[in-house]
Amino acid sequence: MTDMTDPLMQDVQGPSPRDLLKRRVKGHLGLLTGVGIVGLLVLVAIFAPLLAPHDPYAQSLMTRMEPPVFLGGDWEHPLGTDHLGRDYLSRLIYGARVSLLIGAVAALISGVIGTAMGVAAGYFGGKVDAVVTFLINVRLAMPVVLVALAVVAILGGSLTVVIGVLGLLLWDRFAVVMRASTLQVARRDYVAAARSIGASTPRILLTEIMPNIVNNLIVIVTLEMAHAILLEAALSFLGLGVQPPTPSWGLMVSEGKNMMLFEPWLVLIPGIVLFLLVLAINLMGDGLRDVTAPENRS
Amino acid sequence: MMINPLLKTTALVAVAAAAAAPAFADKASNTLNVAFTKELENVDSYFNSSREGVVLQRAVWDGLIYRDPETNEYVGNLAESWEWIDDTTLEFKLREGVTFHNGEPFNADDVVYTVNFVADEQNGVKTQRNVNWMESAEKIDDYTVRIHLKDKFPAAIEFLSGPVSMYPNEYYAEAGPSGMGLKPVGTGPYKVTDVTPGQHFVLEKNENYHDSPKGQPEIENIDIRTIPDVNTQMAELFSGSLDLIWQVPADQAEKLATMDQFTVANESTMRVGYLQMDAAGRSGENPFTDKKVREAVNYAINRQELVDALLKGKSREIYTPCFPSQFGCEEDAATTYEYDPEKAKELLAEAGYPDGFSTPFYAYRDRQYAEAIVSYLNAVGIDTDFKMLQYSALRELNMDGEVPISFQTWGSYSINDASAMVSQFFKHGSLDNTRDDQVLEWLDVADSSTDPQERIEYYTKAIERITEEAFWAPMFSYNTNYVFTDEVAYEPTPDEVLRFTDMSWN
Repeated sequence: MTDMTDPLMQDVQGPSPRDLLKRRVKGHLGLLTGVGIVGLLVLVAIFAPLLAPHDPYAQSLMTRMEPPVFLGGDWEHPLGTDHLGRDYLSRLIYGARVSLLIGAVAALISGVIGTAMGVAAGYFGGKVDAVVTFLINVRLAMPVVLVALAVVAILGGSLTVVIGVLGLLLWDRFAVVMRASTLQVARRDYVAAARSIGASTPRILLTEIMPNIVNNLIVIVTLEMAHAILLEAALSFLGLGVQPPTPSWGLMVSEGKNMMLFEPWLVLIPGIVLFLLVLAINLMGDGLRDVTAPENRS
Repeated sequence: MMINPLLKTTALVAVAAAAAAPAFADKASNTLNVAFTKELENVDSYFNSSREGVVLQRAVWDGLIYRDPETNEYVGNLAESWEWIDDTTLEFKLREGVTFHNGEPFNADDVVYTVNFVADEQNGVKTQRNVNWMESAEKIDDYTVRIHLKDKFPAAIEFLSGPVSMYPNEYYAEAGPSGMGLKPVGTGPYKVTDVTPGQHFVLEKNENYHDSPKGQPEIENIDIRTIPDVNTQMAELFSGSLDLIWQVPADQAEKLATMDQFTVANESTMRVGYLQMDAAGRSGENPFTDKKVREAVNYAINRQELVDALLKGKSREIYTPCFPSQFGCEEDAATTYEYDPEKAKELLAEAGYPDGFSTPFYAYRDRQYAEAIVSYLNAVGIDTDFKMLQYSALRELNMDGEVPISFQTWGSYSINDASAMVSQFFKHGSLDNTRDDQVLEWLDVADSSTDPQERIEYYTKAIERITEEAFWAPMFSYNTNYVFTDEVAYEPTPDEVLRFTDMSWN
């Protein structure tokens, strides 16, 4: 047997894959920034009741549109108050919950649908593939925003409706990518080997295929999360998303819009936070792709 | 302050943008540039139902009678005098020597044609209520005409001084409503020289305007453009390519007033904001069938705060199901509900909802006010599922009796008579969620009586019962802001109508 302590052998062996991964993560600034911001916002969302200085629903019409501290306001309302006198910081903090919840759940729903379809199409091929490809084409032919607007207009806007609609609309990219990755992996020798020793189809899918395509999946999840968050903001901005008084960043932008000329911070603050979150999620997704599958880098 | 540098930048950007704008607004060119917020569907005043349409109607056409907006007195305009022949017949002596913009002389034939055309339901006048009380018109001689009413209608004079204006018979017979919409012809103080439907209207002073109580026009040209976004309107006002904007939201008007290059004038309007509740249970079992719950809603709303902080200006608290200046709208008859959230909670508990309840809440305009109202309801334990719909969608839902509670407003078409509001909603029509037989009986008397005292008496009874039973929660009246450059002199009137004849250059 080989002696691991042999200095000669150590040189040949080099660092383990795990060490390599760690090294790549540490060297990837974009990934670290992305994870940092997203992580921070997730913590903020989870601990919202502890962090928010005020009740985000508490209206005080006598103290409407007070400016934030850096524009001459006071520390009672660090980011000022909105058009109904509600604390802007508290609404921003609770708004993180709405954005992240919608992003995560919509990405989960569409991820499950898209992955199931894509893997099935890639693995079984033939008629299954034809049907799935057809469905993907149908879905790609539909303009997402228009369909979402129509459905929400008919069903009425609410958190559940928005999550459901986005979840059911955003699975196309999952399906496309998962199908392509599965096609690639399914032809590998180890899959043939597993099949030849009599492994069942579910077992092959779960233990041979999935682990080898999961890094692609993670990247798509982050992309679609960002996509869903932006769509929610757009729907809420148009008055068809989350309904007031629920705090949502898109809704906050829309409510501040009319006073944009005189109180631009009403629009800027939620706008900047929304921008940061989406940027961070995208950085995270790009970083994960670079780190987990360096051979795919273009 | 951060505002000023920002404003300057915005103004600079706007100036740069406006350099390319076609019309240049100023006193020197004698052209007043005005913005409309909404698209006007048809200039023909019988075929639109918007405020913008009323503004053009008053500028381009004249009615037989004119109501002085200051004194509310009726004076002759196209008619020199009038008298009631009997309860359903009005006779008019017409003014002689008036000509339409196209040169056609005005006489009894024009009145007969106009009235017979608009009174015929087949012709599809948009707001039937404005005209469907008239049966027909009859020519006595060239300058004497009689209008026959379908039934007794005490508000006839008010309607004749408002929405019923006179059209040239020969031209209208040929052009019809669509031709009239594109090339309007009237007797009014301004003639229309150019119409781009929904977008752009150019008016020119009528040099031969008759000696009308509206007064003679002073400003030579009026150039009206449709600009839906209030931020764009303000940017153009800064840059000087607009001289006058109106219906400016209170917050923006307040900021503009501090800039001292503009006059900000505020006037009240007849529009009343109220909560309609399904007391009749049309939407099925719902808490609002219980009087205590309706009272609780009334106590939950802080009307004073809404008026002071959100509506501002000349708005006021309202407790009546009509606007107090309207004939028959007796304020003293109304039960008032002072803001008292504790009492509201008690009443809810007594009604069997100690922990409150949950209900859909509908609204169609002024999202900000609606949100503030919802927040008051939430505070006493009434959870709301907020639904903002288009006006037509909400109206339809309401007609089907599927709306438990909604934030509604009603402007009474600026008609200064309680029948235009209270009788619109409490006479078992499709929008009546109360269906109270007693109220119906009293309103029937009040609406058809020609004795003013009797009318007041019965409106009072109806108002007493409506407010005592808390069928609605009337909340506030609206106001409107007019903002114009210092070059313009204008005093707006409380009826939400822009009167170009009252405007001049400083």
